[in-house]
Amino acid sequence: MYKLLLGWRYLKTRYLALVCVISVMLGVATLIVVNGVMAGFQTKLRDRLHGVLADITVEGLEFEGFHNPEAQMARIAASPVGKYVAVMSPTIESPAMLQYQFRGATITKMVKLIGVDAQSRAAIGGFSEYLQDNDGKPRPASFELSDAAKFRLDAFRAPTPPAPLEGLPTGPGEPPAPDNWIHEEKKITGAILGHGLAHFRQPKPDGSSVEVYTAEPGDIVTIVCPGGGKLTPEFDRFAVAGYFRSEMSEYDCGLVFVPFDHLQRLRGMQDRATAIQIKLTDYSKARLVVAELKNIFSPHLYAVQTWEDKQGPVLAAIEIERGILNVLLFLIVGVAGFGILAVFSMIVVEKTRDIGILKALGASNAGVLGIFLGYGLLLGTVGDVLGTGLGLTITSYLNEIEAFLSSLSGQHVFNRQVYNFATIPVDIRVSNVVWVNIGAIAVAAAFSLIPAFKAARMQPVRALRFE
Amino acid sequence: MLEAINLHKSYRRDAVSVSVLRGVDLAVREGEFLSVIGASGSGKSTLLHLLGALDTPDTGEVRFEGRRVDTLPARDRERLRNQSVGFVFQFYHLLPELTALENVLMPAMISRGILRWLGTRGAVRKQAMDLLDRVGLSHRLHHRPRELSGGELQRASIARALIMNPKVLLADEPTGNLDEGTGAGILTLLRGLHSDGLTIVMVTHNLELTLSTDRVVRLAAGRVETPSNPSLRLLSPAC
Ligand SMILES: Nc1ncnc2c1ncn2[C@@H]1O[C@H](COP(=O)(O)OP(=O)(O)OP(=O)(O)O)[C@@H](O)[C@H]1O
Ligand SMILES: [Mg+2]
Repeated sequence: MYKLLLGWRYLKTRYLALVCVISVMLGVATLIVVNGVMAGFQTKLRDRLHGVLADITVEGLEFEGFHNPEAQMARIAASPVGKYVAVMSPTIESPAMLQYQFRGATITKMVKLIGVDAQSRAAIGGFSEYLQDNDGKPRPASFELSDAAKFRLDAFRAPTPPAPLEGLPTGPGEPPAPDNWIHEEKKITGAILGHGLAHFRQPKPDGSSVEVYTAEPGDIVTIVCPGGGKLTPEFDRFAVAGYFRSEMSEYDCGLVFVPFDHLQRLRGMQDRATAIQIKLTDYSKARLVVAELKNIFSPHLYAVQTWEDKQGPVLAAIEIERGILNVLLFLIVGVAGFGILAVFSMIVVEKTRDIGILKALGASNAGVLGIFLGYGLLLGTVGDVLGTGLGLTITSYLNEIEAFLSSLSGQHVFNRQVYNFATIPVDIRVSNVVWVNIGAIAVAAAFSLIPAFKAARMQPVRALRFE
Repeated sequence: MLEAINLHKSYRRDAVSVSVLRGVDLAVREGEFLSVIGASGSGKSTLLHLLGALDTPDTGEVRFEGRRVDTLPARDRERLRNQSVGFVFQFYHLLPELTALENVLMPAMISRGILRWLGTRGAVRKQAMDLLDRVGLSHRLHHRPRELSGGELQRASIARALIMNPKVLLADEPTGNLDEGTGAGILTLLRGLHSDGLTIVMVTHNLELTLSTDRVVRLAAGRVETPSNPSLRLLSPAC
């Protein structure tokens, strides 16, 4: 009891101790703020990395994909983990070449062509929320052309060519004349292009830049891809229906979406698919589902992966970065610890006579040790509580603080262009705050241990005679 | 009840050894008011520290109620200091962060764990207030030591020494830093305690104060001697 009383009184009467409290407070606040921001960025980045990836994908390892996706999906739904599956969507993925005309020049790009069933794919997530028109407004998850796009398509479409002369032999294997593709009856299918594939940034003399669309909705693009069975080139013309803009350049500059059934026909993959995308009702069950699906789908023919498996190395890198940053930042608390050591050593010297008195009154070594250890813990705890409060306050008002600092300095402290985030993302994790608190208190206690031992070992008479 | 047998104590600083006590023999009887006199530096405080188990002798024995205490383990010596001996210091030695009342309560707090303290707090506080009342300090319960006068400090420190109902009170020049009137007041207080049955050993410079004690011994040349001075002999009839 007297340990608490004395510890508390020392805390109230020693302003020097405030230095310790403040240093612990600042350390804890820094750790909480930095962790909050780091976790915020991490969450955002994870979202981005998750991006177009479904929770779980079952991919056929064969080039021509696997047979009867409907039946495969029925197998998944009927399996013991079927209850965790919210939505499934079959897709076909294939490397492809994209080509279109812009101001008389031919633009050709390597792309990944993805055939999706717009509706079920939208339910998987990471698709429809990224779709937009050339005015930047979101567009529905379908390959239908908007009215404006249809108008543009019709306006630029070449006039109906004369019917081919009769009797002219068109031998087998001879490609049809390109113009035969376009005639009134043929309905052109829409395609959704990665945003980066259809626009570029044109710098202006004043240093700013303007976005220029090279393929507008309604423009025609040609896509060439290998056939499903053999490596025969297949090609078709599509009309741009809209753009896919996830802010992940890997996706925005490489993906082209077309309707699933159309790609099936184009590649000669009737009733086949290359992958099944799965969205789970509860992502925490992902490991369980993957394990079960690996039983159903032979690993020789299928790869079953969560999105995290696919993005494994990047996620691991972020995690390592955060770990290292935490270790470095914890050194701040370490510095606070040395402050405690210094201040405590002084206080113990200053309190030598009091220690002698306490011992003369029958206090044990452990008791005296307890006073100073308790004092250290108290300092740590008070600094911790204040630091947690300060840290949480700063984190919750981080964007306001940033705005204020920006208005003071006239420059953006947080450049939104770099990350494409509208605000500084923060994410406060309770477990993290708890660990920071435990760590800081432990450091405070550890560094008060040495002075406390020194105090405990004092001889009462010598301490009493201390001048 | 408190016995010193052939005590030797020397202080060593660097290579120089100062021999302070050289064979002290002293027996304090139960219920006695003994005063110890001696020149400054003769080792009076040293002797008192040994008797109160604050320090250990180089050789010799200290016995309390027939039990040897100088060789007891630390834990038992702590309990002895806490519960059986009351110590009054020359320089009061109150804890500056605590009020007078808290200072008086300190030995009781030390002796109890937090739960027992919370359980018995009311009773102990009452006892402490009664003690402070007895030493005439009931109007200064919540003052800090720096707000008290020397006499008041010494009264508080006497109250602190009594809170655990010790069997013997060791007082090291309790009036040394006080003016005559205040010193006399303290002595009256001690005499009152003695008449209630408390054994007291008091170290003093002031020969007049020894007048009202049962017995006087003098420390000189590291030994206890019965005062040879006739006037002192006269002053200490019990000797
Ligand atoms: N820790 C120590 N180291 C060295 N010498 C010491 C120590 N403590 C006491 N002494 C010496 O021991 C001698 C006795 O000291 P002590 O305090 O017992 O004397 P005293 O009789 O109480 O004197 P006073 O009447 O002035 O209080 C003194 O000469 C002192 O210098
Ligand atoms: Mg002395």
